[in-house]
Amino acid sequence: MHRRHFLLSSAGAACALAAPSSNPVTVLYNDRTIKLEQSRPDPKDLWIRAADLPRINDFTLKPQGACRADMCIPVPRQFRSGAWFNLSGFAGRVHQANVHEAGVWSFGEIPVVRGEFYRSRIAPDFAVPDRKGHMVHLSDFRGRKVLVITWASW
Amino acid sequence: MAAAQDTGGEAAAGRWYDRANATFTTLVDAQHAVSSAYQFINVPMGIWVDEKGQVARPAEPAWNSDQVMKITPEKSIATEGQVYVAALRDWVRNGERSRYALSDEEFARRVKPRSPAEMEADASFKLAVWFHEKGNDQLAAKYWEHAQDLNPDDWNYSRQEWTFGKDAGQKWMEKFQKLDKPYYPPLDIRK
Repeated sequence: MHRRHFLLSSAGAACALAAPSSNPVTVLYNDRTIKLEQSRPDPKDLWIRAADLPRINDFTLKPQGACRADMCIPVPRQFRSGAWFNLSGFAGRVHQANVHEAGVWSFGEIPVVRGEFYRSRIAPDFAVPDRKGHMVHLSDFRGRKVLVITWASW
Repeated sequence: MAAAQDTGGEAAAGRWYDRANATFTTLVDAQHAVSSAYQFINVPMGIWVDEKGQVARPAEPAWNSDQVMKITPEKSIATEGQVYVAALRDWVRNGERSRYALSDEEFARRVKPRSPAEMEADASFKLAVWFHEKGNDQLAAKYWEHAQDLNPDDWNYSRQEWTFGKDAGQKWMEKFQKLDKPYYPPLDIRK
C-alpha cells in the first residue's frame, strides 16, 4: 500500500472513531428517565458520554474514579475511551443489575449507594408527580413527620 | 402522603382520591417509584419518616381498619388497622420517644438489602412499565414476567400486570391458593 493511501485510510478510520454517534438510548434509574441523544455503538455494553453520567446517577468521573458525594469508586482504564464511559461495565463492577432491550436500559439500585439507607436510616428520596403533575420529593417535607403509604385501584 | 401505585396514572386513581376528599399530598406513581424506594411488595404498605428524614418504621402493611377477608374456606386475609393507627397517633404525639419508633437494632433486623435477583426484578419491572407506556405490550409482558420470575414474593409485580388482562381475578386466586406464607408481611407491632 502506498504511504499516502495508508495515511488517508488511517485518517478516515480515525475520523470514524472520533465522530459522535447519533445512537440514542433511554436510561431508567430510580425514578429517572434519561434520554441520551448519543451513545457509542457496542454489541454488549452501554457507552455513554462521560458528561451525561451525573444526570443518570449523580456520579461524576474524576481522575480518581467515579465519584458521588464523598464516595469515589476506582474505574478500570478500559471503561474510559476519550469522552466515552462504559456505564454497563461500571454497573457490573458495582454489582448493579441492569436489563435492556430496544435501546432502553433499566438499571437497578447501586448497592454501595443503597447501603447508606441501611446504615443511616435516612429514607431514600424520590421524585413523583402529584395529581397536577408537580414533582413532589420526600425531602420537601424535611422537618415534619411523614407517613408515606401506597395504595392501588387494583 | 399517599402514592397511587398504578400504571394507569390519574385516570385510574383520580376518582378514588376525589371520593376520599383527600386533604393530604396525593401522588400519582405510575412507575411504582415509592415501592421501589422502600421495598414494598404489596399494597397498602407504608413507612414512617421523622423530621430528620430517618425512617422510624420501615415497610409494613398500612391498613386503617381490622378486617378478615375470607378468600377460600381454608384461607383468609386478616388486616390489623386499629393497632396500626393507634401506634401512628402515638408516634405523631411522642416522636422518637414513642415505643413504636424502632430502635436501630430493630430497624436493622427488619430491613435487609435486596438480593441480586430482587435487584434485577426491580430493574425489569421498570423496563416493563416503560414498554407498557409506549404501547409495546409484547416487551412489557416479557419484562413483567421476568420480574415476577425473579421475585415471586412481590405481589405488586403480579397484581399490576394482571390489570391489563381479562383474567386478573383468576390469576390472583391461583397464586393466592398456592401461598404457603402470609399474603401480607406480618404487622410486627407491639400493642
